[in-house]
Amino acid sequence: MDHQLRERLAARLGDRLLGPVRQRHDETEIRIGPGDVPDVLRTLHDEPEFRFRILADLAGVDTGTVMQVVYHLWSDATPDWLRVIVDGLPREDPRCPSVTFLWKGAEWMEREAYDMFGIVFEGNRDLRRIYMPPDYTSFPLRKDFYLPDDAARSPAVGIRHLERTHAPQEAPGGVVRRAKVV
Amino acid sequence: MTSDERRTSAPEAPYEIPAHPSADDPRVVLDRELGVFEPVPPYPPRTEREAEFYTLRDGEMLLNMGPQHPSTHGVLRVVLKIRGEQVVDLDPVLGYLHRGVEKLCENADYHQTIAYLDPLEYVSSLFCEWPAVMAFEKLLDVRVPRRAEYIRVLTGELLRVASHALFMGWMALDLGGLTPILWSFIERDEIVEMLASITGQRMLFNYYRIGGVNGDLNHEFMSRLGDWMSRATAQHEANTKLLNENEIFVRRMRGLGVMDRETALRMCWTGPNLRATGVPFDLRRTHPYSVYPELEFDIPTRSEGDCLARYLIRLDEVKQSLRIIDQCLHEMPDGPIMAKLPRLLRPRPGRAFAAVEGPRGEYGIYAISDGTDQPFRLRIHDPSFIHLQSVGLLMPGNLIADTMAVMASLDPIMGGVDK
Repeated sequence: MDHQLRERLAARLGDRLLGPVRQRHDETEIRIGPGDVPDVLRTLHDEPEFRFRILADLAGVDTGTVMQVVYHLWSDATPDWLRVIVDGLPREDPRCPSVTFLWKGAEWMEREAYDMFGIVFEGNRDLRRIYMPPDYTSFPLRKDFYLPDDAARSPAVGIRHLERTHAPQEAPGGVVRRAKVV
Repeated sequence: MTSDERRTSAPEAPYEIPAHPSADDPRVVLDRELGVFEPVPPYPPRTEREAEFYTLRDGEMLLNMGPQHPSTHGVLRVVLKIRGEQVVDLDPVLGYLHRGVEKLCENADYHQTIAYLDPLEYVSSLFCEWPAVMAFEKLLDVRVPRRAEYIRVLTGELLRVASHALFMGWMALDLGGLTPILWSFIERDEIVEMLASITGQRMLFNYYRIGGVNGDLNHEFMSRLGDWMSRATAQHEANTKLLNENEIFVRRMRGLGVMDRETALRMCWTGPNLRATGVPFDLRRTHPYSVYPELEFDIPTRSEGDCLARYLIRLDEVKQSLRIIDQCLHEMPDGPIMAKLPRLLRPRPGRAFAAVEGPRGEYGIYAISDGTDQPFRLRIHDPSFIHLQSVGLLMPGNLIADTMAVMASLDPIMGGVDK
C-alpha cells in the first residue's frame, strides 16, 4: 500500500473524487463521476507526480443497480495498481467519455465493453460490436441476461447452486443478481 | 429463414432482454443473410471508422484473409484493403472463437473458473490461471506457501520457453520456412510432456489452485527436467542459428512493422512487443509478484521495434527463463504446496486485480466478489487482444504477404483474443 499516493491523489483531485481513496493489498482505488473522466485521466497520465503511462485494463461492470467503467493504471512512481472506477452510469443509458485520446489502444477494450454491456463511449470513433454479430441486439454480460442454467435465477440465488439442479422454466424469473458491494 | 423473419420473430420466453436505447441499432438491418466470407457488410456503416474503411477509392479492392487461413493462428478474419499488392488498410473481424468465458465464470464456482480460463491461452495456459488465482488469493487474504510459489515460477518459466519456441517455429512457418516449426515442436513436446507428468495434461493444465498448486513435483518430472536442462542451452543455440543466420529471413524481417515506443505505450502494448521498442517494462520487475524479487534475471530490451527485434527479444528471454529455472531448482524450499483453505470459498465482498507477465505480455484478471461462492464479475485482460489491434497501424504500405509476418511477430493467440 502506498500511503503517499493516497495523499497525493486526495490533494490533487480533491472534490472530483466520489468518496475516500481506498487501499487494499497493492491496489489503490478512486471513484469519479463520468463527467470527470477525460480530465482526471489526463491529469493522471500527464502530470509528472503521477505518470500513469500504462493502461493495464479497461473493464465494464454491471453491479445490478448501476454500470461502472473500471480502469487499471500502472506508473513507475508508485508500487500500486491504481484503479479508477467511473461510478454511477445509469443502467438504462450508460454513457462514458472515451479515453482513446490518451490510449489509442483502449479502442478495442471500449468496443468490448460496449458489446458486452452496452456502455456507449463518447468519442470512440469505432464503437461497433466486436465479438457478437452485428445484428445482435442484447448485451450478454449484463446481469439481466440469463443463461439457460443460470444460477442467478435458481432458488438459491448465488449460493451453493452446485448442489441443486433445476430446470430453467421452474426458476423464478427476473431476479437480477446485485452486488452487495457497489 | 430470411433475415427479416429472424429479426422480427419474438425472442423465446425466458430470454426477454429489456429494451435499451442503444440496443437496437436501426441502421443495422440486414437485407440478406450475413455471409461469413463477404468482405463488405450488407448494411450501411455504423461508425466513422467503418465508413472510412469500406469506402473504396480508385484502384482499391477488399480482400478477405481468413477465417480459415492457415497462418492466422486460429479463426481470425482480416479484411484487407489493397491497392495492387500493397495493403492500404485493414480491419480485423473477431468473434469466430468467442465463447463468453467471462459470463461462464460468473456462473461458476471460484475453483471452476480456473478450468474455464485455461483454454483462453492454449499455448501457455498456466499464464491465464496465474493472475486468476492471484486475484482470488487477494480477495481471500491467503498466503501461498513458498514451495508452491517456486513451483509456479518453475512451471511458468518452462511454459514460457515452450511458448517462445513455438513462436519461433510459427514465425518461420508464416514466412515459408518449414524446418523451424519441427525443431521447436521437439522443444515444446519435451516441456509439455514434462508438465504432463505433474499436471496430467499436455495442454490445458488446470494446475494452479487458489492457495497453491495441485500436485507436487515428482520423480518423472525432475528426471525429465534434468535431462532437458542439460541440453537446453545448446539446443537453444542451435535453434537460434537456424534462423538468425538466414539471410532471407533477416532481410525480410528487418524494418518491417516498425513501432516506436510512444505509440506502443499509447496502444497499451506490454510484454516482449513493448520491450522490443525499448521500454523495459516487465511486470516481474516493475510490479513484482510471487518470488521473482528473489531471483536474478535481466530484462532484455531492443530499440528497433521492428519484426526482427520482436523475434530476437524472445530468443533473449528464453535465456533468461533458463536462468530462472536453474535458480528455482537450486533454491526450491521444502514444505506444503497448498495453503489451508475450506473447500467452499466465499471471499468477503471486494475487488481485486492481479496481473502477471506472460510470454505475450500482461495477463490481468479483475475479480469482484459479492460474498457468494461465485465471482460477481471476472474480467480477463489478454495481451493478444491488445496487440492484434495494432496490426492496422503497422501494416499500411506493406505487401499482402507481409501481413502474416507482422501478425506472427506480435504472436497473438486467438483463444485469448476472442475469449
